[in-house]
Formats: sequence, structure tokens, C-alpha cells
Amino acid sequence: MKDRGEVMVFPAGAALLLVAAYPVVLVFWFSLCRKNPIFGVSEFIGLANYQHLFAEPRFWNALKNTVYFTGVSVTLEMILGLSVALLLNRVFRGRGMMRAIILVPWAIPTVVSARMWEWMYNTDFGVLNYLLGTQVNWLGDPFWAMNAAIFMDVWKTTPFVVLLLTAGLQVIPRELYAAARIDGAGGWATFWRVTLPLLLPTILVVLLFRTLDAFRIFDAIYVLTGGGPANTTETLSIYAYKSLFQTLQFGYGSALAVVVFVCVGLISVLYIRLLSGQARR
Amino acid sequence: MSKPKRIPGRSVPPLRWPWLVAFFAGSLTLFGCGSDREPGGEGITTILFKHGKIAGDPAKLAEIIAVFEAENPGIRVKDETLPASTDEQHQFYVINLGAGSADFDVLSMDVIWIAEFARLGWLRDLSHLLGESERQKFFHGPIEAVTYEGKIYAIPWYIDAGLLYFRKDLLQEYGYSPPQTWDELVGIARAVTAQEDELYGFIWQGKQYEGLVCNALEYLWSHGGEVIQNGEVVLNSPQNVKALQFMRDLITEYQVSPALVTTMIEEPTRHIFGNGRALFLRNWPYAWNIFQQEGSAIKGKVGVCKLPAFPGFESASTLGGWQLGVNGNSKHPQAAEKFIEFMTSPRIQKRLALTVGYKPTRIALYNDPELLREQPFFAMLYDVFTHARPRPVSPYYMMITQVLQPEFSAVVSGIRTPSEALQSAHKQIVRVLEMGD
Amino acid sequence: MKKTAFYLVLIGLAVFCLGPLFWQFLTSLKPDAEITRLPPLWPHHLTFVHYVAVFAGRPFLRIIFNSALVAMLTTGFALAIGSLAAFALARLPVVGKAFILGAVLSISMFPPIATVSPLYVIIRTLGLRDTPWALAFTYTTFSLPLTVWILTRFFRSVPRELFHAARVDGCSPFQTFVRVFVPLAAPGLFATAILVFIYSWNEFLFALTFTSTTRSRTIPVEIALFPGLHEMPWGDIAAASIIVTLPLVVLVFAFQRRIVEGLTAGSIKG
Repeated sequence: MKDRGEVMVFPAGAALLLVAAYPVVLVFWFSLCRKNPIFGVSEFIGLANYQHLFAEPRFWNALKNTVYFTGVSVTLEMILGLSVALLLNRVFRGRGMMRAIILVPWAIPTVVSARMWEWMYNTDFGVLNYLLGTQVNWLGDPFWAMNAAIFMDVWKTTPFVVLLLTAGLQVIPRELYAAARIDGAGGWATFWRVTLPLLLPTILVVLLFRTLDAFRIFDAIYVLTGGGPANTTETLSIYAYKSLFQTLQFGYGSALAVVVFVCVGLISVLYIRLLSGQARR
Repeated sequence: MSKPKRIPGRSVPPLRWPWLVAFFAGSLTLFGCGSDREPGGEGITTILFKHGKIAGDPAKLAEIIAVFEAENPGIRVKDETLPASTDEQHQFYVINLGAGSADFDVLSMDVIWIAEFARLGWLRDLSHLLGESERQKFFHGPIEAVTYEGKIYAIPWYIDAGLLYFRKDLLQEYGYSPPQTWDELVGIARAVTAQEDELYGFIWQGKQYEGLVCNALEYLWSHGGEVIQNGEVVLNSPQNVKALQFMRDLITEYQVSPALVTTMIEEPTRHIFGNGRALFLRNWPYAWNIFQQEGSAIKGKVGVCKLPAFPGFESASTLGGWQLGVNGNSKHPQAAEKFIEFMTSPRIQKRLALTVGYKPTRIALYNDPELLREQPFFAMLYDVFTHARPRPVSPYYMMITQVLQPEFSAVVSGIRTPSEALQSAHKQIVRVLEMGD
Repeated sequence: MKKTAFYLVLIGLAVFCLGPLFWQFLTSLKPDAEITRLPPLWPHHLTFVHYVAVFAGRPFLRIIFNSALVAMLTTGFALAIGSLAAFALARLPVVGKAFILGAVLSISMFPPIATVSPLYVIIRTLGLRDTPWALAFTYTTFSLPLTVWILTRFFRSVPRELFHAARVDGCSPFQTFVRVFVPLAAPGLFATAILVFIYSWNEFLFALTFTSTTRSRTIPVEIALFPGLHEMPWGDIAAASIIVTLPLVVLVFAFQRRIVEGLTAGSIKG
């Protein structure tokens, strides 16, 4: 049996290479250049962009905001998503409808949902303050603004987690549940000993992609707060966007993108080491 | 070991494949052919007009284009719309023009981009279209904004400027006339809101975005301050500190503006005022027609005037508006120029004013009897537009505003004091200008 | 007791998920003057003027068609080549497996805003501006990381014995893939298909950059064209968002059964 898989991998590999290789290489190259057409500059400067970046307080502010956003948002999504997936794993009437309902937040286009939340968060005529009976300045208070953005993101992306974990739960053979029950295991023990270990590989992939997405968050926060007030909700992607498309600092903006890449890469390696080690046990 | 069972209903039933293939093949033929630029045909030049979404019915623009094509038989004009958002348009042009695209010939530009695009070589020099005497026929502000190093790079198309809306019914009831100074505004607002329920004193746009800079500059300028004067940064001045402090005081000290203004852009403030929940509103002229529509809670109760100033200084209003330019890479510059001349001509500007509500950039039209009859509002606007000042006209304006936005936002949110913010902004802008030379 | 608690939680969940959309729905039925008046929560006058406005003066059906076409192409391509690659990476020897998986993942590690300019140059050079292909190719590429990783995971969960059994029975690797692995990994396939479809349906940045006319414009860009310079026709946008979300919900409802009907008992133990 001399099967080899290279031929099957080829189409995907080729697609990625053809489409993504050039942009990726260019981003790395630009990050090593000072490239600003307004100043008429385009020259190789090695790692100077990165030196500048690390000395820039705005960068650390953006990094801090991004890490906070990612940490809180992903944690909440995973916990909520897992709970809902388990909940919907039982058989009950209307389960199909429920599954479709769960996906609604994910299905709304971001261009709409971010605006929608901006209006719901409006202190004066927003429905949130109306229902709560409060006058909180959700998007104008530095503390609330970031958390409001997180809440919106959790609402929007938990369906993603639910969908994939639901699929993941399906490939756990039902006999194992029956066997656990025969052995006298209660709900919690079953979850801990049977479900969780078998679900762990799927959890890893979901966690990975949620973190990737959360770290790169741009549209939702940009519409909600524009990075404000006073850059307190500015994430690395928003900073990169403004550098690239507002101030035309292509070199510096690309360096910021590379930093995002590196951070996410490190986190991915961490996840894979930590969790697949667990999964193998 | 037995063969794995073929689980019924699992794979896509074979019957479905041919339909899918047919669907794809059909779509392929429909869309497969690449770019849709019709070949000119004998002597026909086709130009592409790229613009942000035109207010109202798109058919109005199509009619105007049809008039142009009728009067210029050798030229056909296709137009393509971009989202109205100024950020998204800027991003689009950076990507397209940055890649040397010649796909479009005429483009509509925000008033703050002209110097930048001119410096980048993306625009064609249009000085020959506007001689000295012609320039006098336009408002001064837009002409200043489209001039870079002595040359004209775009023709002002329509104009926008900040103004003050007020509830004239309430002012009349309490016996006040429209405020001339900021102190008067504060006094009136406090007096009236003390008597009225559910009424904010003064709302404006304070979210961290370009509109905040527009708002803030109106205070700075009306206190005799400026950002850049004669090429020098003069941002960190005592007048500017006082002006910004006043902005913050509107919320904290005088309490005529609610804290929520720091999250507002134009539409939310328009809604609040339009629901009758505010006494004064700073906004652009577009809101007027909405307030006067059927069903509006404040129809007939709204007045407009110039923005107030600090005692001893002149009122100032931030200039907005859009200009038409020619892509420097355009293959049909003459046709493009003809089109621009047409679109900015007096009769077309008048027509746009009547159909779409765009405010003309030509001074003479503000005395036009027909326009004044249809839109009496225009008479008040003339005064505002003559005093409209452009934001710093510099190829580095986008960088400057990226410095100003967070600093102004920090002031109105109370995160930083005005002097801290202005000091920091001053330093950063000096650095920007230095890098440019 | 437990049952009521369960149903209460379900209702709470439904409210949480649907609440904002329901608010959008209410907004879409309110006349402009009422949209930001609170109270009342419910519209005093019901009007369909916003739904009419969505279709008036713009070929909204054509836009929906464009989005559907691009989404179907993307989902088809991504699943086809992604599942093939995932199968190979899961069960066949491939040189540099870990490297390939890492390289595939790293595509997803860049903020899209950084890659949009160079991609635009590629699209332009290939003459694909303003065609559905530009979007389909781009979306496929950026969906591959998720597709490959999820499906690799799902293919790995199919026991080795089945693979060997099929090979012993004379199936080629490809036949094994189609006859055995695809059906058994169906939950993952359908879940991924839904996610890729929705991603393609809702993607904005690339759609804005690569399309210019209604020939290929997709829904998110069209909705971005609703607002004027300062005006935001919130009622129309609310109506549009209802119109474009409903097909997705129907789609999910139709396919969600496929996600969970993956394995019938006993099918694995052959």
C-alpha cells in the first residue's frame, strides 16, 4: 500500500500559494521598509519599523486593548458556546428550530450588526438603556466601551462555537455514554471523563480560530467606537488600518500586521502544545 | 470484515450534480467575460465617474448625465457609486490610485484630501479650467482647499458647513433671540432647560472621528486660535486651551450638553433634536429638510443661524463638501475635464440644488430668485458658507487629523486636560511636518 | 422541575439570540419619525415603506443573486479542495504534514486589511475586477485554513480500521475518501459548509475593493450604499438586514439536521 497524500493536498496548497503568497510576502517586505508615498519615501530600513513600534506608547495601548478583548471575549464565547452545545445535544422538540435560532447572530452581516448595536447602546434612544432603565454612557465611558464591544462580539460569535462543538459532539459514539451510565457515572462525571476528552481536539480547533479572529478584530469595534474614546478601544487592527489607509504609512502599518501575525502564531503554538498534549492522554 | 455500509441519504444524490454543473456553467457564461468597458466605437470616448452615493433618487443623476451626453455626442459617461463613508472612499482611492489604476477618469473627493492626492501625483492639474476671474465666482474656502502649491487640482462641486440649529418656538416663548456668543448660548440653554422637561441644552458630535475635529475647530477658530499658521504649528496656544476647556465645560461645568455627546455622530444628534429633545444642535445643512418633512415633530419650529463665537471674535464654521477631480492616469483627460466643467457649471449646480439638495459652490446662485423661492433656507446659508473655513490644507492633513482626533476625544471625555492634550498634539504635528520636509 | 428549568434556559437563549434581530424587525416596520422614539417600544403605525425602499431604485434581487452565487462557488470550492487535503493530512502519509498545517493556518493570522492592497493588484492583473470569480477565489483561499483544520480533525475521528478495511476491500484512497470518510465526517462537513457560506455572504472588505458595479456587487457592499453623506436611513437598513438574514436562517434550519444525523448507532462497528 503505497498511498501518498501529496496529490490530494496539492489543489489546496496551490490555491493558497497562488492567492495568498504574494500578499503575505509583500506584507513582510513592506514591514522592513519605510514606505510612505506622501513623503515620497520608499527605502529598505531593516528592523527600524519594529524599533519605532516598540517605543511607541500607542502600540502598547493597542496591544493591551487587543489582548484584553481577545482574552475576555474568547473565554466567554467558549464557555457559553460549550454550554449551549451541550444543552442542544439533548433530544427535545423544537431542537432544529433552536439550532437555527442560535445561529442568527452569526448570520447578520457585520456591517449591519455593528451599527445595530451602536444604536442599541445609544444612551438616549438606545433600547438597552430603555429596558434597563439606566442612563449609562455605554460607548463613551472608557471602561464600558471596551466591554460593550466584547459583549457584542460574544453575542455575534458564540454561534460559531456552538455550531462546531455541536458537530464535534456528534462524532462521540453514543455507546460510550450508555457504557458510562451503566458504570454508574452521573452527568458531571460523564462529561468530564467521556465528553470532554473526546471533544478536546474540536475544542482546540475552535479555540484556535476564535482567538485568531478576536485578535484581528476590526470592523465591529471601528463602527462602534472608531477606536475611541481617546483610543481606549483601539486594537492592533484598527491601528494598522489607520496607518495603512489614513496616513499611508505602508511600512509601519505592515509591521503592525506582522506583529499581529507573530502574536497569533505564538498563541497558536501554545494552544497546540498544551491541548493536544492533553488530548493524547 | 464486511464492507462499510452505504449509509442511506448521506452523499449528495447523483441526480443533483447535473443541475449544479448547469447552474455554474450558466453563470460562467453570464459573468465569465472580464471587464465590461465597452470599446469606444468610432470616435466615442467613454469616461467613468466615480463618486460617493448621491443623496436621494439615483435617477436624478442619470438624467443630468443624459443631458451631458446629449450636448457632447462624442462622450459617454458611466458612473459608479462608492459608499458615502469618507473613510471607505479614501481607502478605495488609496488602493486604486496607489496601484496606478486608470479605471476611472473623474472622481469626487472630500475637501480634506485634495492636497494629499495632489502631492501624491494622483490628480491632474486643472488650473487652466479656473482662471483668476473664474475662481472669484466660487466661495473662498473651497478654492483654498483645492489649491496646492499655487495650482488647482479639483473643482468645488458642492459645499457643506457647520451651523447652529435652534428651536425658535422655545426661544420665542422664553423671549430670547439666537445667541451670538457662546456664553449667550450657555445662558439661554440653562435658563430654558431649567423650565422644560426632557430637554437637552446643546448637542453636538463628540465621538472620536473626523466630525469631532470639525466641531472642535469651530471653537478654536472662534476664539482666535488656529492649528497651523504660515507653515508653523500654533496649536498649543492659550486661546486654544481656553476654547477646548469650554468644550469640556459644556458637559461638566455648565451641564448644557449631556455626556452622551461623546459617542455621537451626525445622525444620532439629528434624531434627538428631531424628536424635540434638544434646544440647540450643531450639525450640517442636510438636517434642515428632514426637520421640515411631514411627520417631523419639530416641523416649522426650527431656526438656523451662524455658530456663535467668543466675545470679540468672529464666528467660524468648518468647511465640508466635495470636489471633482481628474485621475492623473486617466486616458481621456479632455473628456473628463469637459464633464467636470459641466457638472460644476452654474445651471447644473442649480439643478442639483433643486433636485438633490446639494448646496452650490458658486456664490451667484445664492441670489438666484428661483432657488431662493424653492429653498428659502439658502439665504441663511450664504452667510455661513462665506465664513466657512477649511481644515488645515496640507498633504499631511490625514496624519494631522489622526493626531487631533484622539486628543480632542480625550479632552471631551475628561481623560486629559486641554493643555496636556494640546501639548501632546502640538509635538506630534510638529514631527509630522518635519518628516515632510 | 428539571424540565421547566431546561425550557426556561432555552427561552432565555432564544431571547438573547433573537432579541436584537427582533428589535431590527420592529424598527423596519416603524415610520421614520418613530424610529428613535422610546417609549413606545412598539410601532404606533405599521408601515412597509422601508421594505419597498430596499428594492426601489436598486437591483436588490440581483445583488442577492450575486451573493448567493459567490457563496455557493466559495463553499463548493473550499469544501472540495479543503476536504481532499484534510483527508490526506489526516490519514495518508504526506511530507511536511505539520509544516503544511502550520502554513495553512498562518494565512489566517494576518489582518485582512494588510493583504487587501496586494490582492487587489493580483485581481486587477488577472482582469477579474468586478466579477464573482475575484471574490470566490479570494474567499475560498481564506476559508481553506478553517476548512482544512476542522475537517482534518473530523477525518481523524474516523477509526483507522475503517480506512484499512476499505483499502483491503479494494477501494483506492479517493474512493475511500468519498465512500467512507465523507459520509462519516458529514457533521463536520455541513458545519464547515454553513460557516463558509455565511462568511462569504457577509464579507465586506474584499467585496468593497474588488467589485464596482451591480454586476458582481454583494449584499454587504450594497447595504453600505444605503447611507448618504450624513444621513443614515435606519429603517431601510433594518428592513434590508431582515431580508438578507432570513435566507441564511432557512438554510441553517434545512441543513442543521445533517449536522447531527451524522452517525447512526452501529454504523462504525462494522
